[in-house]
Amino acid sequence: MKSFIRRTMKITVLTLIVVGLLAPFLILGMSSFAHEWRWPQLLPASFSLRAWTVVFQDSQLWEALFVTAVIGMLVIVLNFLLGLPAGRALAYEEFKGKSLIETLLLLPILVPSLAIGMGLLFTAIRLGMADHWIGVVLIHLVPTLPYTIRILRAGYENIGWKYEEAARNLGASPFTVFKTVTFPLLFPSIRAVAALSFVISISQYVLTALIGGGQVITLAMIYYPYVSGADRPVTAAFSLLFIVLTIALLLMFESLFLRSRKKV
Amino acid sequence: MKLFKQRIKPYLLLLPSVTAAIVFVGWGTAAALLESLQDWETGEWTVVYYHELFTNPVFWDSLFLSFSTALLSTAVSVVLGLVVTRYLYHYFRKNRWKLLVWLPMLVPHLVAAYLVLLFFSDSGLLSSLLYRFGWIQEMSEYPFSVQNRQGTGIILTYIWKEVPFVILMLLPVYYQLNSNYEAVIRTLGGGSWEVFKTAEFPALAPVLTETGIILFSFTIAAFEVPYILGVTYPKMLPLLSYQWYFENDWSSRPAAMAVMMVTTFLTLLLAFLAFGLSQRRRNQMSRGK
Repeated sequence: MKSFIRRTMKITVLTLIVVGLLAPFLILGMSSFAHEWRWPQLLPASFSLRAWTVVFQDSQLWEALFVTAVIGMLVIVLNFLLGLPAGRALAYEEFKGKSLIETLLLLPILVPSLAIGMGLLFTAIRLGMADHWIGVVLIHLVPTLPYTIRILRAGYENIGWKYEEAARNLGASPFTVFKTVTFPLLFPSIRAVAALSFVISISQYVLTALIGGGQVITLAMIYYPYVSGADRPVTAAFSLLFIVLTIALLLMFESLFLRSRKKV
Repeated sequence: MKLFKQRIKPYLLLLPSVTAAIVFVGWGTAAALLESLQDWETGEWTVVYYHELFTNPVFWDSLFLSFSTALLSTAVSVVLGLVVTRYLYHYFRKNRWKLLVWLPMLVPHLVAAYLVLLFFSDSGLLSSLLYRFGWIQEMSEYPFSVQNRQGTGIILTYIWKEVPFVILMLLPVYYQLNSNYEAVIRTLGGGSWEVFKTAEFPALAPVLTETGIILFSFTIAAFEVPYILGVTYPKMLPLLSYQWYFENDWSSRPAAMAVMMVTTFLTLLLAFLAFGLSQRRRNQMSRGK
């Protein structure tokens, strides 16, 4: 009897989780195709492509999509360049001052990013990086890099150094070791880093507005006027664009990985 | 020579990211701090902006709102995430469950905020549902408004976004738990609570502390979500700061910086205390007390 109650409870909770996690996407999708959906209708009364047409007619949309994607990808690349060596060192090496360095590396997500952004604005202006996508890419490192290092460190700890050593003992060059051993084994962590840094980068409103000075128009910049407006289907369609962009990037990433596997 | 190379290697590997962290955080906060301590016209040193801040009820209301919102959403997310992970971690070994937990991570915070509006606002789905059940007759009778002075909508958004984060942080710990501990405790007649307290919690505590600190700092410094779900008064601290920063002349800029400095100080103080406590606990444990 007791185990029956337990089972039922588990199933209920699992169902709740599935619904809680999936329902928002369904509702967003439905709302974006709704033609008429007023309070208190539970479901849209009629459907149309109007919202999507409106979104794609936004004069700034295509440029914003392009800028957002490019900035996001550059943020990913920078995260790997800085995060891979750092994660590796933290996973495999013991050295003096390790815990101090760990704390330092966590600081960018402990200190409010707005404080950092406002403090750096004058310097960015003086260096000519404000109002420019370079400055925006750099400032997006602040909310992303600590997560990247954490994920990659855990990834390296998981695989350990023995496989790499075996490959090296067999005479592989460091690059070959990375390409044929480390990268494939580390791929789940690498994918997680790409996804997370991209999502964080495209979600940034205040840092982008501050450092970009209103000159660097990303999706987040043109999203806000829609949210405060009353046109729900259009906002829903726009919201889905963020998610579609992320999924597109992940698929691209995945196919690149698969192709590189085939060549080996 | 080889030994030297070996010894310096980790520092070289870490140099780029540590430099980035120090330049961004160090330079950024130092510049903001300086600006909050200087008269905006003459550049003379002064603490007048902090004095004005601490005597301004607008600031205190914002501080209280930010603090309670961050504390509540962090506590609920951590507890919910822990409970779900503890009872269901077997499921999350399977890829489709893990993918499901990843879904909210792929949704930007500002979209999550809009989702909360869609579901819980006065004209949202829940409101329509209540009408169907005959509990309300007018939109204005809807009792669960989320855009309020308590920041309910903000808290809901963060819970939906952060519970998966907590789960993903805790899963590795549960996978690495030594199941012999549980066997020993059960053999000795201990119940589930004993298992959790003696076998699981000590392994979880450091990760729970870290997760809690990350979530709290993140929420108290949040801009994007309250920008959508907040009310005009009181504002969350970052919104208040942003508003003062961009007010017509520059006279409020030092005050805007001061707001962020107080937020920074509070966050770091809490992080320091929490890390310290968790470290002390660990030391006590390893000494067997």
